[in-house]
Amino acid sequence: MSKFTLTLAALACSVTAFAAVAQDAPGTKTADSYRFVIVPKVVHPWFDKVNDGAQMAAVAIKAQTGSDVEIVYSAPQSADVVQQNQILESSIATRPDGIAVDLLDPAGNRASLEDAKSQGIPLTLFDSVPPEGMAIPYIGSDFCEQAKIASRRLVELLDGKGKVAIMMGVPTAPNHSIRAECHREVFAEYPGIEVVAEGIDNDDIQVAQQQAAAIMQANPELDGWVASDAAGPVGIGQAIVEAGKQGEVILVGLDNLNEMIDLIRDGVADSSSASRPELQGYWSVMLLWQQATGAPVPSFIDTGNAFLTKDNLGL
Amino acid sequence: MSDLQKADAAQSKNPGMLKAVLRNPLMGVLAVLIVIFVASSILSPYFLTPYNMSVVGRGLAFVALVTIGQASLMLLGELDLSLGTIGGLCGIVTGMLMVNAGMNPWLSCLLALCLGAALGFINGFLTTALRLHSLVLTIGTAGIYGGAILVLTRGVAITGIPPEIQFLGRGTVWGIPMPFVIMLVMLLCAVFLTLKTPFGRYMYAIGNNRDAARMLGIRVDRIRVLVFVLAGALSALAGVLLVARLGTAQPSIGNSWVLGPIAAAVIGGVATTGGVGTILGAICGAAIIGIIENIIVLFGVSPYWQGIVSGAIVVIAISFDAISRRWLRKES
Repeated sequence: MSKFTLTLAALACSVTAFAAVAQDAPGTKTADSYRFVIVPKVVHPWFDKVNDGAQMAAVAIKAQTGSDVEIVYSAPQSADVVQQNQILESSIATRPDGIAVDLLDPAGNRASLEDAKSQGIPLTLFDSVPPEGMAIPYIGSDFCEQAKIASRRLVELLDGKGKVAIMMGVPTAPNHSIRAECHREVFAEYPGIEVVAEGIDNDDIQVAQQQAAAIMQANPELDGWVASDAAGPVGIGQAIVEAGKQGEVILVGLDNLNEMIDLIRDGVADSSSASRPELQGYWSVMLLWQQATGAPVPSFIDTGNAFLTKDNLGL
Repeated sequence: MSDLQKADAAQSKNPGMLKAVLRNPLMGVLAVLIVIFVASSILSPYFLTPYNMSVVGRGLAFVALVTIGQASLMLLGELDLSLGTIGGLCGIVTGMLMVNAGMNPWLSCLLALCLGAALGFINGFLTTALRLHSLVLTIGTAGIYGGAILVLTRGVAITGIPPEIQFLGRGTVWGIPMPFVIMLVMLLCAVFLTLKTPFGRYMYAIGNNRDAARMLGIRVDRIRVLVFVLAGALSALAGVLLVARLGTAQPSIGNSWVLGPIAAAVIGGVATTGGVGTILGAICGAAIIGIIENIIVLFGVSPYWQGIVSGAIVVIAISFDAISRRWLRKES
């Protein structure tokens, strides 16, 4: 056999071996189309932004790979773990290419997540953490840090002295209760700060407004507000305007709903400590897609918190 | 002779039987349930899969248990808006007894059922003793029981439910979810109680005319209180089973058991004024709602449209039922 023939044979072998390796390499599985399901906690404008981010990711994948990506957004009508599990399990029955969930309660959602895992459906969690002992990639920001950014800002604006109130959101929602607790921790560090009232708004703007109005009537010396959910600061802002206490009572808000941005623009709220729902939706889909291609994925992506003021919003 | 001819011959021999079956008010809702079931099976390839059937069955079981209790009360002309919070409170208490107090899980479940019965007794006793309308009274007691959940938990779920009782919520018997099996047993008992015993006949008599029933010597108040007790215990059972299913005692358990069971009973032909309808009809109503909720997700209906779609299907279903009943009445 000539040297030339031997070289050709060796080359052919190595190309074949490389092709075999490339075929089996992680992240190389392809499909013409993908269907991903997004299951948020509840129908809510904050989760609409998550959905917007998910749709952006679908467009990006289509542009880069040509694969069609369908996003099915399926939200419970109320923040009820039983209803969320029903939606989750019904979605599993449709055999999607992946499911992204914002868990209402990691332990309470565990059985449904185990169902998905046992059927080989890729999972990603956003805005929540996996149940203990379950390895599921998750995306989110530090709720406690988000709350502390807001409460520290309020303390700073009050020069460490004053009467403040906390709106607690839905007391049974883990992220709301964590934020409320972290607000309390920050205020407890300052002897001049007194928490005079706490309200429950159940993530409802109207309830937040009623609660805030009542609390401000009962505490005319109130100096400032923080909230633990996205609806809370919007209701508080409306109550401040109605009571004519704009400039008298300081509001440091939470999240970036359009109404919250309006309150900052109008000077009713000083600022807002916001998580980034669009990024969470975007990376949820990206992680699901990567898992569907067989690629290894990181266990956690931190989308961080943004501190929104009139200046950095360009208002 | 063909099968069709045989059937025709049988019908001509016994024409009253078919009419009696058709005239049964249960037939309308049962027909609607079958139509929705068949349509879902045809329209979605995922609907009839064993996994999806177990999802529908398990989901139905919890709300159906509360529906049995609520429908029984509605047969008497009563309504209990606190059944959801009774289920939630009993779920929380059983979780606290097992996890915080370290009590035997089975004993905890039993005590939770007793608590449910006791809370039902309070509703029944206050309704009968103070001559209050149960609807108004239970708005208040629902607030008290719901408030007690928040006081006990401060909104935080109780985790660490022992695995030995999780079988009640997660296990299966011949592939059928355990909560569904338990619900079926309770349904059979309730159907037997209401249709085959003097107690059941008294319930219908009270629902039709309370004063007339009293004049007939029926111990009206005792029966009313007893049905409240049974409804409370059934709600507690639903709460305990859900704790076993979730593996945690959630403060939000029972939130969706307030209007759902009433709607299910009404769809199933149980009148809110009392004396009309059956428990089986109410469960068919619950199954209709359960299937609609399932297919909405299977079809990927937008969450903003879900209310409209499910509401429209329910309106069509009860209209069909009402029209078929009117037609049958005319026929008879």
